[in-house]
Amino acid sequence: MSGARSLGSSHRGVTAFLVQRITSLYLALFTVYVVFWLASKPASDFAGWSAYFESGLVRMAWGLFFASLLAHAWVGLRSIYMDYLKAMWLRFTISTLTAFGLMAVALWCAQILIRGAA
Amino acid sequence: MQQRTKRPVYLNLFLIRLPIGGVVSILHRITGALLVVLTVFFLWALQASLASPARFGEIQSLLSAGLGRMVVLLALWILIQHLYSGVRHLLIDVDIGVERTSARRSAGLTLVASVATVLLLSTVV
Repeated sequence: MSGARSLGSSHRGVTAFLVQRITSLYLALFTVYVVFWLASKPASDFAGWSAYFESGLVRMAWGLFFASLLAHAWVGLRSIYMDYLKAMWLRFTISTLTAFGLMAVALWCAQILIRGAA
Repeated sequence: MQQRTKRPVYLNLFLIRLPIGGVVSILHRITGALLVVLTVFFLWALQASLASPARFGEIQSLLSAGLGRMVVLLALWILIQHLYSGVRHLLIDVDIGVERTSARRSAGLTLVASVATVLLLSTVV
């Protein structure tokens, strides 16, 4: 340990690690379900497609998928930034813009799923 | 000590090749970053497809032929490669396939399986 520095909390990063792994399980299962569903029964008309998204359970499942996706994306992008953006001002700026971007996407997802409810 | 003398004394980037585990690892990052961008396109298409029968038809014809279909298949490969290498990382997290030969084999398997899956899906989607 030459060049010792403050390491901060020894638990730092554990939450991000767990969020990444736990969301990945839901994302993987849901992706397999959607791919199989689209492959087995292609939505060939608007009526069937919009009827599918009328279901509250479907909208909830998609909402959880998008929430997991955005949390997963945040942790993944954060890892990339920590590895490649060495200048702190750059890492901070890009991280802040990413956070706002992902929050905007979250609101957009909510708008798409809720408007379908009417 | 015998081992140490055989180590390279300089690092020639043209002689160092990334092992297949490293290739799959960096692919996981690249596909992950691309999936963030693709999410925006996916949401745009989803919103349009739910807006009206006319918009649904536009999106359907855009994605089912020509360049649109190529983009869909490429996006599917990016998604499935990330999924398979992600499953591989999760298995390694729980100590499955950590040993070098099996790690190399599983890395190669994700590449072969992702291409095979997309080819299979291209026949039904």
